[in-house]
Amino acid sequence: MGGGTDQTGDGAGTAGLIPEPVPLEPVTYTCGDCGTDNSLKPGDVIQCRECGYRILYKKRTRRIVQYEAR
Amino acid sequence: MMEAETNKLHELVKPHVDSFDYFVERGLEMAVFNLQPLEVEQRLTATTLRMWLEKPVVSPPMKDSAQLLDHRLLPAERNCMQCRLAGLTYRGLLTVDVCFQWNNGPVIRHNMSCGRMPIMVKSNLCHLRGLDQRQLVSLKEEALEMGGYFICSGLERIMRLLIVPKRNHIVALKRSAFRKRGSAYTDKGVLMRCVRPDQSSVTLRVYYLQHGSATLGFMYAISQLILCQFCRLDFLLVQVGDCNSLNLEYLRSRRQEFLVPVGIILKALIETNDREIFDQLTSVHEEAHNGIKGAVGTQLIVQRAKIILDEVRTYAVFTRFQCVQFIGERFRPLLEVSESLSAVAVGEKVLKDFMFVHLDNSRDKFNLLIHILHRLFAFADGTAAVDNADALQHQELLLPGHLLNVFVKDRMQNWLSRIKTVISKEVEGNTSFDLQDLTKLLKLMEKVSLTSICKDVEYLLTTGNLSTQSTLDLQQASGFTVVAEKLNFLRFISHFRSVHRGAFFAQLRTTTVRKLLPESWGFLCPVHTPDGTPCGLLNHLTSLCQVSTDLDTRGHLKDPITIRKSITTALVGLGMIPIMPLIARLSPPEHLVVLLDGRLLGHMRSDLIPAAATHLRKLKVTGTSEVPDDLEVAYVPCTFAGAYPGLFLYTTPARFLRPVKQLESFFRSDEVLELIAPFEQAYMDIRCPDGGDTRKDIKLAVATHEEICPTAMLSVVANLTPWSDHNQSPRNMYQCQMGKQTMGFPGQAIKFRSDNKLYRLQTPQSPIAQTATYKDYHVDEFPVGTNAVVAVLAYTGYDMEDAMILNKSSMERGMCHGQIYKSETVDLTEMRQRGDGIVNVFSRSDGQAGRRTVSGMDQTSFIDRDGLPHVGQVLKNEDPFCSVLNTMTGRVKLSKLKASEMVVVDSVAVIGTGYKEPLQKVNIRMRHGRNPVIGDKFSSRHGQKGVLSQLWPDIDMPFSAVTGMRPDIIINPHAFPSRMTIGMLLESMAGKGGAVLGKFVDATPFQNVGKKEFMLEYESKKKHDFKSPCHHPESAITEFGQQLASHGFNYHGTEVMYSGVLGTELTCEIFIGIVYYQRLRHMVSDKFQVRSMGAVNPVTRQPVKGRKLGGGIRFGEMERDALLAHGAAYLLHDRLHACSDYHIADICSLCGSLLSPVPLLSDKSGSGLAFGLPLLTSKVKKSVCRVCNTSRGIERVAMPFVFRYLAAELAAMNIKLTLNVKDGH
Repeated sequence: MGGGTDQTGDGAGTAGLIPEPVPLEPVTYTCGDCGTDNSLKPGDVIQCRECGYRILYKKRTRRIVQYEAR
Repeated sequence: MMEAETNKLHELVKPHVDSFDYFVERGLEMAVFNLQPLEVEQRLTATTLRMWLEKPVVSPPMKDSAQLLDHRLLPAERNCMQCRLAGLTYRGLLTVDVCFQWNNGPVIRHNMSCGRMPIMVKSNLCHLRGLDQRQLVSLKEEALEMGGYFICSGLERIMRLLIVPKRNHIVALKRSAFRKRGSAYTDKGVLMRCVRPDQSSVTLRVYYLQHGSATLGFMYAISQLILCQFCRLDFLLVQVGDCNSLNLEYLRSRRQEFLVPVGIILKALIETNDREIFDQLTSVHEEAHNGIKGAVGTQLIVQRAKIILDEVRTYAVFTRFQCVQFIGERFRPLLEVSESLSAVAVGEKVLKDFMFVHLDNSRDKFNLLIHILHRLFAFADGTAAVDNADALQHQELLLPGHLLNVFVKDRMQNWLSRIKTVISKEVEGNTSFDLQDLTKLLKLMEKVSLTSICKDVEYLLTTGNLSTQSTLDLQQASGFTVVAEKLNFLRFISHFRSVHRGAFFAQLRTTTVRKLLPESWGFLCPVHTPDGTPCGLLNHLTSLCQVSTDLDTRGHLKDPITIRKSITTALVGLGMIPIMPLIARLSPPEHLVVLLDGRLLGHMRSDLIPAAATHLRKLKVTGTSEVPDDLEVAYVPCTFAGAYPGLFLYTTPARFLRPVKQLESFFRSDEVLELIAPFEQAYMDIRCPDGGDTRKDIKLAVATHEEICPTAMLSVVANLTPWSDHNQSPRNMYQCQMGKQTMGFPGQAIKFRSDNKLYRLQTPQSPIAQTATYKDYHVDEFPVGTNAVVAVLAYTGYDMEDAMILNKSSMERGMCHGQIYKSETVDLTEMRQRGDGIVNVFSRSDGQAGRRTVSGMDQTSFIDRDGLPHVGQVLKNEDPFCSVLNTMTGRVKLSKLKASEMVVVDSVAVIGTGYKEPLQKVNIRMRHGRNPVIGDKFSSRHGQKGVLSQLWPDIDMPFSAVTGMRPDIIINPHAFPSRMTIGMLLESMAGKGGAVLGKFVDATPFQNVGKKEFMLEYESKKKHDFKSPCHHPESAITEFGQQLASHGFNYHGTEVMYSGVLGTELTCEIFIGIVYYQRLRHMVSDKFQVRSMGAVNPVTRQPVKGRKLGGGIRFGEMERDALLAHGAAYLLHDRLHACSDYHIADICSLCGSLLSPVPLLSDKSGSGLAFGLPLLTSKVKKSVCRVCNTSRGIERVAMPFVFRYLAAELAAMNIKLTLNVKDGH
């Protein structure tokens, strides 16, 4: 799960600043067939490393989606 | 669940799957076998090349590099679920052997690919065939997957079942259009759609002429090539067609009917003489029979026979050879035949390819034509009745596999003829070309791609259009396929059971084709048809209706010859006089004809026929003989001027079939089910439990068969309506429509689908009142509604006119909460140009240093590092959800959300495309939460729809005196009296009882009909006691009334209630109970349309229309009239002027022109007019009239802008518009 976290944190806070170039970090995807986590960098071939399946799902974000539950 | 249990569901799609299996396994081979080989001659080297196709093989779907999903690690089979998700087509390779033969030498085969053929899911070639539920689920499919559809570019498409004339079946028709064929033509004719074993067909028509003769007509599409060559067709046709000249209209469509005098055909078919033809034609008439019941022949036939024979003589043809030659000469220019072929050979070809193509023997064809003439003349003389072509008796279905078979055959033939033109051009143009050089030939053949065959099939499936020049003897060229929407299970399943009458009939102004006819009883559901335009044209098969196939019960292809032999021997044993070798003079009513699949077998004494029919039915169900179980035994008895009598047998595929019980007394002690078809049904005695048979006074003896159950006449969806026998019938029709529009649980594998739009009910429930079919068809796996406590009272006034009130707390607890899943597919490969590398990639603008978006918008909160949204992210309208970077230009393109509400990113699937490609295709699924809001549509299962008008607070709802329960839904009592949906009242009571007991209630309609004891008791009670209310002793109301009473409720389902607002007891008892409610997919959030400002039409400056564009709703003439009638002048002015195209124009009062005043050019700060309206900030600039050259007479007038437009348009037509401007005092 670790690879899927967003390092930039809250999006709204950086709004006024010039966004610093973020190093290309991998995003984690789950394989649609075997369920293995795959960390893929931009430009990587979309394919599960374990089983070769070519449909991967993005993992749910770890960010706070809704701050207040009302 | 066992496999056997799911069978009932699979039974529903069987016509689709079976016919596709037939197509792949047998039909294709037969079609290829029947193709006309091409022959090219090279005179120079005296070589002839013969080319034909052989051995078509369709292989199971494989991963192909063309669609780029392959990988060495994966199993080679292509997966249905992957195709759906990745938007691919589920297809398998079709290969065929192209055979070459030079000068009758050895045959050289060359295996070639025809491209990839779409494969029907769950057909024999599909990897899902024969898998159990566990395996299906592990493959991410529905556990109850039934197949029967194709997957084309990720969409599930099915081929519609269409109604076509029954094959090899003679129908007498009366059409005024027949008169247009020529001057001597009458409106009477006989039609026969003859079908070859490979399913291709030629429809023959025999017309009756005024002078007593007849002509035989058939349609043929002349090929373009031939048309160009022969401009003198006219001459030829006049001769062939006897009196028909070539119509230019026809010429353009290239479909022309060719008419040939029957005498010539009769003589051409077999070696015969005038005497024999005369005897044959007059054999139907016997002097002694005149006026007897069933006598079809009249004295006139003798004269007609003479006329027919005389007619042949006028063409100066006497022998068979001359007749065939005559036909050959006339038709040679029309057919693509080599010139070396003799006229006789051409004539034989015409007889073989167009005359009674279902028969292979000329003698049989001759006999059949004689029989058809008997029939035509009987019809002309009024001794036999006209047939109703709209009746199901004379119809069958066009099955997917059969259509594909005909289509592929046509495409292959087309390919061969195109190849022929290419080769013969080369042979003619290039003298050095060696016809015997295979490599050169193959190179030449590359010009005409064989893979176009499967491309055309895919095109047919994705668009539903036939891309052929000939119409394949079909009545329409489009509308063959539809998307099988998975809105809910009922809608999905209905697609497979729907039967369309044909696109042609939709345009017909008469309503006769739409009528519900008694012939369709048991085959087509009388309830399940939409109201409105397609009413009566789009029907649905009943739940038990089947379709006859080309396979027998053991799954082998039926052999028509053995079947015919066994039936013939059986019939001869029963007293049939076979037609061969000598034709006896046998005429009705003493002897009747026996036809099998449109072939004259012989004659039979009419008193022997009933016993013979009974015997055949016996053979049919025993299963031991060669007589197939779907044999149709239609004995049409002798009548006075009724249907033409005879014994008509059919073993053909694509007929409607349904099982009925053979009565116990009829054959054996145990129950025997027999499959019957519509034509025979009309002449059978079938008892229905609710029919007159339950009464004492009607004898039971007549019925030979009995319905399995009364609900067998209903479709799957109509069968699900509880107590539909207590409802007024239109309400049941409405329910069939609304059941299919309900938000429900569309499937268990929706996670693995990427439908554009998917509706889902959050908390569906099983209905308390269920019909028997609910279990049979596993509807519980896909429930469509919620059990709601429904009170019937007028409480607030918010429930007027079919509005309903929903308890606000019920809503907040999640009742009827639904979601809509919308998928967005972003495919960058589509943006790619040919030859380009990968230019576009998914990336956030800050993904690479120095990149900036155009708008400068901060994307990081919306878009992840991979250029895709965060899963779980909440998005609003206009929020970006996806960012694509063009690596060439460095520009970033954001895809923005278009939604009127908040959505949540439900899932993001990245799909691997090409070999070693970065991410190019994603599927982003958004979830729209839909709580019930005011304006949403709900419905019970009884056609009682209503609109949510108020979410009423729980505390203000009325509550029951005893239980304290508050209703979930309040509906108005006025919903019942005029609609008479007693079933809903029953459901309410039964639901309450069932909820108390914790049991589901059986709500099958017609449960108690036919239970003799109850009926009799009821009848006698009714007779003696008129005054006191008398319920049927076993009626539903008694049952549930007593059940409620035994649990302390009121017998009639009412309860004492208190007002939630005032706390006082309501003055009357309230009917309250539990009803299953459906939430319909029509929701205000998708429908509301509002506008104050917005887009305008650039020409008229009036508001545009359309919800998507933010346009307005047309305020039309009738609306204008209403305001005028009310005298609401100010409102009218406001709507039609101020809120529309308000415009201030300068008019020159001197010349009266609207167009000549122009703003003064001296104004350097720009025009004072913006879009014709004076800007408030800028000074009002004077205009000057270009005609009068002065600004003296300029007046400012308000007017609609279209008026100026009108003036301009008129000016363009040289019409001057002068306005007489005066002071308004």
